[in-house]
Amino acid sequence: MSNSEYLDVFIEESQEHLQTVNDSLLQLEKEPDDLSLVNEVFRSAHTLKGMAATMGFEDLAHLTHTMENVLDLIRNEELEASSEILDVVFDSVDDLEEMINDIAEGGSGKRDIQQIADQLEAIQRGEAPSAAGSAEVAAANAQTEVGGGAQNLGESYDEFELTVITQSKEQGFSPYQIRITLDENTMLKAARVYMVFEILEEAGEVIKSTPPVDELEEENFDHEFIVTLVTKESKEDLNERINRISEIQNIEIILIDPEELGENSEAESEPKTEAQGQSSKDSAKAESPESSQPVQQLEPQQQKKDDKDETTKKPSEANKTIRVSIERLDVLMNLFEELVIDRGRLEQISSELDNNELSETVERMSRISGDLQEIILNMRMMPVDQVFNRFPRMVRSLSKDLGKKVNLDIYGAETELDRTIIDEIGDPLVHLIRNSIDHGIETPAERLDKGKSEEGTLVLRAYHSGNNVFIEIEDDGAGINQQKVINKALSNGVVTQEEIEKMSDEQIFGLLFESGLSTADQVTDVSGRGVGLDVVKNTFESLGGVVTVNSEQNVGSIFSIQLPLTLSIIDVMLVELQKEKYAIPLSSIVETAIVNKEDVYSAHNQKVIDFRGNVVPLVFLKNVFEVPEAGIEDEYYSVVLVSKGEKMAGLVVDSLVGQHDVVLKSLGSYLTNVFAISGATILGDGQVALIVDTNALIK
Amino acid sequence: MASVLIVDDAAFMRMMIKDILQKNDFEIAGEAANGEEAVEIFKDQQPDLVTMDITMPEKDGLEALKEIKALDSNATVIMCSAMGQQSMVIDAIQAGAKDFIVKPFQADRVMEAINKAM
Repeated sequence: MSNSEYLDVFIEESQEHLQTVNDSLLQLEKEPDDLSLVNEVFRSAHTLKGMAATMGFEDLAHLTHTMENVLDLIRNEELEASSEILDVVFDSVDDLEEMINDIAEGGSGKRDIQQIADQLEAIQRGEAPSAAGSAEVAAANAQTEVGGGAQNLGESYDEFELTVITQSKEQGFSPYQIRITLDENTMLKAARVYMVFEILEEAGEVIKSTPPVDELEEENFDHEFIVTLVTKESKEDLNERINRISEIQNIEIILIDPEELGENSEAESEPKTEAQGQSSKDSAKAESPESSQPVQQLEPQQQKKDDKDETTKKPSEANKTIRVSIERLDVLMNLFEELVIDRGRLEQISSELDNNELSETVERMSRISGDLQEIILNMRMMPVDQVFNRFPRMVRSLSKDLGKKVNLDIYGAETELDRTIIDEIGDPLVHLIRNSIDHGIETPAERLDKGKSEEGTLVLRAYHSGNNVFIEIEDDGAGINQQKVINKALSNGVVTQEEIEKMSDEQIFGLLFESGLSTADQVTDVSGRGVGLDVVKNTFESLGGVVTVNSEQNVGSIFSIQLPLTLSIIDVMLVELQKEKYAIPLSSIVETAIVNKEDVYSAHNQKVIDFRGNVVPLVFLKNVFEVPEAGIEDEYYSVVLVSKGEKMAGLVVDSLVGQHDVVLKSLGSYLTNVFAISGATILGDGQVALIVDTNALIK
Repeated sequence: MASVLIVDDAAFMRMMIKDILQKNDFEIAGEAANGEEAVEIFKDQQPDLVTMDITMPEKDGLEALKEIKALDSNATVIMCSAMGQQSMVIDAIQAGAKDFIVKPFQADRVMEAINKAM
């Protein structure tokens, strides 16, 4: 494709514009009268249309165009930006996103947009969108039913899936598309889905499902899903077997014709292959009259070449990235850690030998390995935005379903976390957010009764502190009824009365994470609270994280998740306690200070200092780690001020040594759960220094 | 007339299911209040169908299900679950339960599941 050199830019820019459209639309929904927002959406959509048309992505251009028409009406105040209309616009943005993703992955960006385009056109003609939409769906259904063989429930397949379908057909299997509709009142949808899949997998092989299986398991679907299956069983048998499961409202099974699908997909990839196909044909034609033999010999070669071209071309159209398995990065990281330890030694040796040439080389090597380290670490880091960016839409649709008004504020989306952690935290966070919206935030009427604003606020916050990243989910809803938690925990035998009496508020709320505890009076299908939270806790704990809850009745709840950075190389401040060396992560240090003993006060049995107008408690590391006293007392304290969120503490040490890069090594399985120690490191001179977990010291 | 063994630790729940079943001409093969009893009665009576609560004292429904399945791999067992026991239900189905119903019971749901399972 001649435009391919622009493709990267196109994809990148389109994604930016889509993000703008998305953001502005969400904003618009809150302030339907703010026409400047419409203008912004309009502008982005318009640019997108222009770009798509230039690049020859017709479906993309067409859909943006119809969307633009609707936006134009809103902009000219001929149409009100009602939430039904915005729903349709959101849907079309979803389609646009799919198309652009497809293009980014080397696809053709083709997509069946007829239905959504029709809906937009209906709005444009001034018809009520929802009615038009359902009529459209009905019409579409009617068509497939009448046609009998008209062949698609709206699924599209990638090349691999098509090959599988075609091949299995050749081997005597029949490919089916099955649309299964669950009863509207179905509870435990995931279990139903599981039953369906069990039967399907017994009957044949599931090629594809929409939505994908993991979303089905999460219950991220309404009531229906489409499965593509290859099997030797007949349609009737399949129907009967699935029908055995209760709570299934409707089953629609359609035999699909891979050739037809294949044609579609060929048609889809036309722009790419056409030019080559034609040129090879042309050349064949041109040569054939002269002598047919050489041509025949030529052809297979040419074809091979074409094939190659195609395969080599595809990846280059996507972003210029390669995928590297995380294990390889782990190996790289481990090797590098060893290097860092040796670097420390070298530095030490060179400073002892005091040889000019040697120290110059060592310095240079240190610098380069520093850069290398940054690159390796960055390769593994991703902004939490990756996880957070799907939440605004989720909150929107969820609050809509539940008839609540919720405003989502996100802070610190740029906070970076190790890739492995990012991959894992999505689902548990979804769960917590659902929980907050479902059980935390009250309905508008209840809120007004309580004297709160009608709209609830959900705050999602991420920030670094020490060796940890904190993610907090805070709502200003009903809060958690502590007594209820206690009663429930007692009746379920999770704890005893005596244990309860010894527990702090936070520990009591922590009981929520025990399995089988649900304080919801009424369980909804959004979240049952009880089965989910213990899974959430387990997931975070398996990542080395900690979850805590705090709540005040009628004021709100806050779920706080502490996750390790898993950065195995960290910047630390080395300090000495007598002869022992300890390392304090630089990221949690605010500053260091020397304090005269006379400036230390006592408050509530706690030594404190007045630090720039704040009262900061002192923690004597010597006592914490039980370092033997040497006896000689100074009249000054060396204090390292550390912070966790907004809380501060002063760690009292004997002396400050200096700043170092160290490799964080776990203490291994012999020494787990050592208080306030997060690991150890080997210093340049071979000594071992323990790394202080400052977060454990700040209460 | 098909015979049914009802297993639930709550007498109230047993009564409800019994009621529904009797209205629909099923014979009640027996009632059990825990998994232990359930397995015993199953051995004795060989019912055509078992409705099995999941959470019960002594022996829970999942274990009872597995034992019954070991006795008779063709046994038809329907699990009775409360909301929020999704993973248990899936475990049960893996272990061979034919279907499940969710509390609070609705008569038509119960009958649908039973008729489809038989």
